[in-house]
Amino acid sequence: MTLSKKVVILGHFGVGKTSLFRRIIDNEFSEEYKVTLGVQIKKKMITLPDGRELSMILWDTEGHSNTVEDTRKSYLLGSHAFIYVFDLTREDTYKNLNQDLEYLTKNYKNVTAKAIGNKLDLVNEKEIKAQLKEQNIPFDCLTSAKMNKNVQDFFSDLASELAK
Amino acid sequence: MEDQDKLEILKKLLLTEEKEFADSIAEKVEELSKIVHQKQELSHKVDPIIDDKLEQFVEEIPKTLGPTITEALKEEIKNSQDAVVEALFPIIGKMIKKYIAHEMRLLSENINRKTKAAFSFKNWFRKTRAKAQGITEGDLILSDYAKPRLMQMFVIEKNSGILLADYSPLSDGTIDKEMVAGMLTAIKSFVEDAFEGGDQDLELIEYELYTIHIQNFYSYYVAAVISGAYSMMFKEVLEDQILDFAQHNISNKELKNSALFTQKLKKHFADDIV
Repeated sequence: MTLSKKVVILGHFGVGKTSLFRRIIDNEFSEEYKVTLGVQIKKKMITLPDGRELSMILWDTEGHSNTVEDTRKSYLLGSHAFIYVFDLTREDTYKNLNQDLEYLTKNYKNVTAKAIGNKLDLVNEKEIKAQLKEQNIPFDCLTSAKMNKNVQDFFSDLASELAK
Repeated sequence: MEDQDKLEILKKLLLTEEKEFADSIAEKVEELSKIVHQKQELSHKVDPIIDDKLEQFVEEIPKTLGPTITEALKEEIKNSQDAVVEALFPIIGKMIKKYIAHEMRLLSENINRKTKAAFSFKNWFRKTRAKAQGITEGDLILSDYAKPRLMQMFVIEKNSGILLADYSPLSDGTIDKEMVAGMLTAIKSFVEDAFEGGDQDLELIEYELYTIHIQNFYSYYVAAVISGAYSMMFKEVLEDQILDFAQHNISNKELKNSALFTQKLKKHFADDIV
């Protein structure tokens, strides 16, 4: 029997949520920036290491301009995981990360919350890791949707975690 | 030496250059007349060849220039899709309208002809019904055709939009049911949020010839896609059937076992909803 899990992608405007979404669903990337209005939903079938299939229903939400509390609540209800995406080149997209993650874990109990720093191709990996550590910014993965770096691995790991 | 001879010698001495010039001009004129004469001759031989080549060129335009022109047109259409659609929409709309009107007229005539020709108890009953209602038999049959039909039914977890079970009396289409379930939930959530109606739920979506009937329960909702005329009477019957199904068939066991749930849904809604 196929497992189905709802995974919501969150974050500020222009951090690359839709780029990650397109990369994992269609393995595509576009330089053209189009603002997501409302939400778009697609499905990604992931084969787990034990051979089972997991149907990941991804909700790519429109970006918020301030905090994650601005995201439409009804989109977050019933989620199995949140992916909070921030832009490694824009500090304003991760300066409230701790508060945002706290809000999510407090209000949506038992929902896995992951933080992803995107646009790794535009920064020096060592330097940004040091900077994030210094600023006490937690992250689960640093990705580049453009270069397809760490994206597939991140979603495979998330699928395994959700299937447990 | 006579005077005449002397004059000739003098002429030769004085006019040598002019004579040479005159001779050269005469020579050039002769050459030019030859060329003109030759061209006329030449054209007799060359013109048919050129005509053939031109004809061949015209014939081969679709092969040689066709792909380039097609490619250029495709590119142009691709780059200005909105403009093309905008321009074609009214034309296509009128064509479809005319076509449908024509086909409906043919269908109605065909039905009338057949019903006149055939005799059976069913036909007799229909004839009586038509007379009693004051309409033609054809119109009565057409209204029967427009009767509502269940096209697809989804049982969806309320907040997550995860598909719990689905049933369609038609063969499985190409639509991704899980994505449809997600999108329906997103639309529903959006509408319910946007109008801040408290605990009110979205119950109906109309889309051209289809109606999506939504019936809400505590942790899930049922979405039934209906084609044809969705009347109040049909709505009531459908609601009752869904309530009946929920009451007798949906428990925690079904909600956790998608395959079993789908099987029960199929069994319950296999017959036409009247």
